[in-house]
Amino acid sequence: MNQLTRGVEVMAGLCLAIVTVVIFASAIGRYLFAYPIPDSFDIARLLLGITVMWGFAVLGFSGRHITVDLLAEAVRPAFRRAIDVFAQAVLLLFSVLLAWKIFSRLASAYASHEATFDLRLPVWPFIGIIWIGALMAVAMAMLRFGMLAAGRQASPISPSENIHD
Amino acid sequence: AELRLAHWLPPQHTLQTTGFEPWIKSISDASGGKVTMTIFPAQQLGSATDHYDMARDGIADITFVNPGYQPGRFPIISAGELPFMVTNAKGGSKAFDSWYRAYAEKEMADVHVCMAFVQDPGTIHSREAMRVPGDIKGKNIRPAQATMGSYVNLLGGASVQVPAPEAREVIARGAADAITFPWDSVYLFGVDAVTKHHIDMPLYTTTFVMAMNKASYEGLADDERKVIDDHCTSEWAEKISAGWADQEASGREKALSQKDHTVYKPTAEEMNAWKESAKPLTDKWHEQVKAAGGDSEAIFSAFKSALAAEKALAE
Amino acid sequence: MTSLDWIAIGGFVALFAMLAFRVPIGVAMSLVGVGGFAVVAGWKPALNQLAISPLRTITDYNLSLIPMFVLMGVFATHSGMSRELFRAGQAWLGQLRGGLALATISACAGFAAISGSSVATAATMSNVALPEMRRFGYSDKLATGVIAGGGTLGILIPPSVVLAIYGYITEQDVGKLFIAGIIPGLVAVLMYMACVYVAYWKHLPPGAKVSGSERLQSLKGIWAVALLFIAIIGGIYAGVVTPTEAAAAGAFLTALIGILRGRLNTRRIMESLVEALTTSVAIYTILIGAMLFNYFLVITQTPQKIAAFLVHLDLGPYPTLWLILGFFLLMGCILDAMAMVILLVPIVFPVITQLGFDPIWFGIIVVMTVELGLITPPIGMNVFVINSINKDVSLVTIFKGIIPFVITDLLRLILFVAFPAIVMFLPNSM
Ligand code: NA
Ligand code: NA
Repeated sequence: MNQLTRGVEVMAGLCLAIVTVVIFASAIGRYLFAYPIPDSFDIARLLLGITVMWGFAVLGFSGRHITVDLLAEAVRPAFRRAIDVFAQAVLLLFSVLLAWKIFSRLASAYASHEATFDLRLPVWPFIGIIWIGALMAVAMAMLRFGMLAAGRQASPISPSENIHD
Repeated sequence: AELRLAHWLPPQHTLQTTGFEPWIKSISDASGGKVTMTIFPAQQLGSATDHYDMARDGIADITFVNPGYQPGRFPIISAGELPFMVTNAKGGSKAFDSWYRAYAEKEMADVHVCMAFVQDPGTIHSREAMRVPGDIKGKNIRPAQATMGSYVNLLGGASVQVPAPEAREVIARGAADAITFPWDSVYLFGVDAVTKHHIDMPLYTTTFVMAMNKASYEGLADDERKVIDDHCTSEWAEKISAGWADQEASGREKALSQKDHTVYKPTAEEMNAWKESAKPLTDKWHEQVKAAGGDSEAIFSAFKSALAAEKALAE
Repeated sequence: MTSLDWIAIGGFVALFAMLAFRVPIGVAMSLVGVGGFAVVAGWKPALNQLAISPLRTITDYNLSLIPMFVLMGVFATHSGMSRELFRAGQAWLGQLRGGLALATISACAGFAAISGSSVATAATMSNVALPEMRRFGYSDKLATGVIAGGGTLGILIPPSVVLAIYGYITEQDVGKLFIAGIIPGLVAVLMYMACVYVAYWKHLPPGAKVSGSERLQSLKGIWAVALLFIAIIGGIYAGVVTPTEAAAAGAFLTALIGILRGRLNTRRIMESLVEALTTSVAIYTILIGAMLFNYFLVITQTPQKIAAFLVHLDLGPYPTLWLILGFFLLMGCILDAMAMVILLVPIVFPVITQLGFDPIWFGIIVVMTVELGLITPPIGMNVFVINSINKDVSLVTIFKGIIPFVITDLLRLILFVAFPAIVMFLPNSM
């Protein structure tokens, strides 16, 4: 299980690195060699989509989404745990709906021959990897839900880990 | 029936004020107020690229679609994007609509296609003078649509794909040497400050479709559906696009009248060179349509004769 | 009230109920958005929004600068740049009375110049500056107040994730927004320093002597930050790079500098990537939710009606502006800064432009307003972060310490509302 969560994390992190390099290299290519990398625009944004969806899976397990903690901080620990189980169940429901609908989007992209702008690469394999990320998100959210429901803290939660703005 | 019309242009755009609004009013009047439409402009209900799917899925009842946003998905209609075909948007739209009606049901089977029309022809606007196809070689160009992107690559240039708001920036700082745009868009997007050279030829058009959700269309009462049918015609395709066409065409007059702008009219020989250089795109179009199971020769000649009948075919 | 109005109100009630029960903000907005859309337009179209919209959001090229600016800040933190900034501040301001507080503010500003996030700025400075200030006898109230306040510079001084998102939502030039943040950022630094002297003069410990060589030495540490800022923000100002390219270059160069100076190894790079990923995806989740929630609001015509209502009140531009800002300040007490911009800006922006305010200027005003939310009770992210890093300083102490800075921020807000020209000078010169 640890290996699975770590694997998802590494996959998403590497994708982020690749997106950065693609955009940087494309800018360099444009300035230094007056030649942009073909399809860098489409490839960067599709890789970004993969990054975010696999990252969404990471957050489904780590619980580091942005939340309003006002009520949770004010109530007894037992009630707080109930709140967390409920919130995780809602996240799980959302992940399931998302995975389901992205699959229909994948099917539509496969059937319709959508392609990238320059090289006319088919788009569906990228959406396919995004969809697998969505499946991972369901798995991760379910793992954490199981742990919270069993009364175990899936991972420490403190505001310092919610660094986002 | 109360219908939602979604598009992705700003609400003050000419197409809304001189196209959609009169069209909606006419529908409402003809139906005695029974069919009304609310406009959702500016991507309010979804991204520009997704407007076909939005009509298919019923997110809006009727949407304004640019099929070229999804290269490869609608091969037949992309004939409208081929270089040096359409000379003006008014007759061009009427011809385009009457031609595409025969194929719409098959190619856009998920929706009810109400009408199809084209944008006023655009051309190349550049920082340095460009006159012949060879001038594209080694240049970075922001293409208007995917077919133009392929054309630029074909001529040995590189297509620079950036969002429209960044287009000016990219040209201003020299990362792109030219842009393909309809005439007045050069002024609307403020590119006229940097691109002072224009080639006077009908290089390309962009195609559009008004797509209706099937269930919304079929769910209309008979008299309501008749009103919609009466407003989904080739005549309306011309009417709805006319105001926008006039506006874009006015940009050419503006450029001609400005001393610091050069509008170059290619010679007959140069025009032939341009057309010859674009031939592989037409070949590729034939290939794609054939691969999708269409009789590309017949479809193409039907398109040409439709354009010729409306005096909108480039000679 | 029409039935659409009641559906919209029901949507807001459902949203706040889910938020209270700690459902992630983005997820709550998504589900209420889809549910509300279904009530108006039916389930099939509503669920299909889920097939179309989230995918469009996560594959939007225009948003790619967000994870990369976040990544840049994380790399900067992991390669020790915040410590060097504080050292330099200490070397140059340390001999003054209360010098460490001033050094902290300047270090916050310096870190803000390479990081897009306020909370990250506050977090890294609590690790670096707080122990030093405590060692030299600064009260906890003052020390934490300075860091919480100084941290808010993170989203005002470019690069800024909040400004980037504002630009995305309102279709404004992100480069211009960034450049517009520079002068207000510098004014904020001076006003915070003045605030330290005015509010805490009696409690300020004396300065410590610093030698000339120490000062020169300190500059060696911060060349990287200066170089990055000039390359990134200078490049945007000169129009040499787009903000997206600047973000990619910034992340790449910061990592490169960290590697060359031996501060980043493979393990740390991987940690940085995952950290930046976590932060960015948390933002993306809200963006996904905001789009879906917004489709629901639009289909009920809510933003149009609110705009019409505000215009119909006919209070005149400035009272309407203050009404809006007052609402933002109120919401800032409970809502996350990012969530606020994403949720509220689309609703009020049409009104603002209708009233004739400059959209770039309003972006800066919005950032300064949501900034306040980061340090006001009961929910103030900067305060929570400092508290979680230093458990022995109570939340109440920090909130008390921050009061003078909140007042300073309000004065600054009034200043820039009154004199928009100060904000617009640099972007207008681009
Ligand atoms: Na910053
Ligand atoms: Na607050």
